[in-house]
Amino acid sequence: MTRPEIRAATLGGLRAAAGVPLLLVGGGMSGFGALAHDIGFTGWEAVLATVAVWALPAQVVAAEMHAAGADLTAIAIAAALTSMRFFPMAVALLPTLGGDVGPLGRIAQAHLMSATSWAFMTRASVPQEPGPRRAYHSAFTITCLSVAAVATLAGYLGAAALPAPLALGLLFLNAAFFMVLLADSRNRQALLAVVLGALLCWPIHAVLPEASLVLAGVAGGTLAFVFGDRLRGAA
Amino acid sequence: MTGAPDALTVVLVTAAATFVWRALGALLVGRVDPEGAVVRWFSLTSYALLAALVVRLVGLPTGSLAQVPSAIRLGAVVVTLAVWWLTRRSPLPAVLAGSACIVAAATLMAER
Repeated sequence: MTRPEIRAATLGGLRAAAGVPLLLVGGGMSGFGALAHDIGFTGWEAVLATVAVWALPAQVVAAEMHAAGADLTAIAIAAALTSMRFFPMAVALLPTLGGDVGPLGRIAQAHLMSATSWAFMTRASVPQEPGPRRAYHSAFTITCLSVAAVATLAGYLGAAALPAPLALGLLFLNAAFFMVLLADSRNRQALLAVVLGALLCWPIHAVLPEASLVLAGVAGGTLAFVFGDRLRGAA
Repeated sequence: MTGAPDALTVVLVTAAATFVWRALGALLVGRVDPEGAVVRWFSLTSYALLAALVVRLVGLPTGSLAQVPSAIRLGAVVVTLAVWWLTRRSPLPAVLAGSACIVAAATLMAER
């Protein structure tokens, strides 16, 4: 593989990120920034969360539970449960980025990966050869991550400075993004898990508010896993 | 562990809890079936947890969103999903429409 090929792939990744992905990342992360402000993080902590966690659901779960007074163990369990999806994503994506980068290079790509980049990498227009593909993925994800960091700070400052109604709108962005993401799941078993998780959260929250996310998640996911097998693949 | 941890610790613990899965995936490449039963349970559980998170954020809010009456929050949920459906599953218009509902309702409430 040649340098021009790598350069073209890098530019391709940049260009692909600079559209809808950036708007989604920017919107979602500015919502997180607003939430972080609402619950008393510093701006620096909010940006660090985006760069170091780099997973909006885990960030919002942690912020929400922290605000509700949950302890560290409960927050860690809930964050780990929302981030389990990165395991299969990494297992499926990383081999296509080439094996000559060593474990550290692989782990770096795994950290940069997001649900958005993962979905993009399945497109036919993305380079298939490992070298250019890795350049494309790096450019795409580093662009997204940089914009996410700026958007987090913008949302944080916006929540502080904007009129209250707009700040509330920013806060609602988080929930709206997750709703759309969940509604988009194309198989019925996943939808069953979504419905069960949402329904179970209410009664569990009434009894054990601190553990309601984890318990509703595990119970909903397990019930859908056990009883929803026949729904798999159907859409 | 008990007591409220500080925000920086929360951020670092959350980062570690997420990174573990990414690193594990990177190390076990080729040795795990991405379509296997355990992986399916993982993804179903994260879906259910995310759904519960939406309920907590919108239905049982602890922060500023609690100032918005629950009927309006529910309305914004309906609008988000309706616009998503009507625009053939485009996320951006749906998210913007839902947030616009909250902004509009909060503006009207502030004027009264």
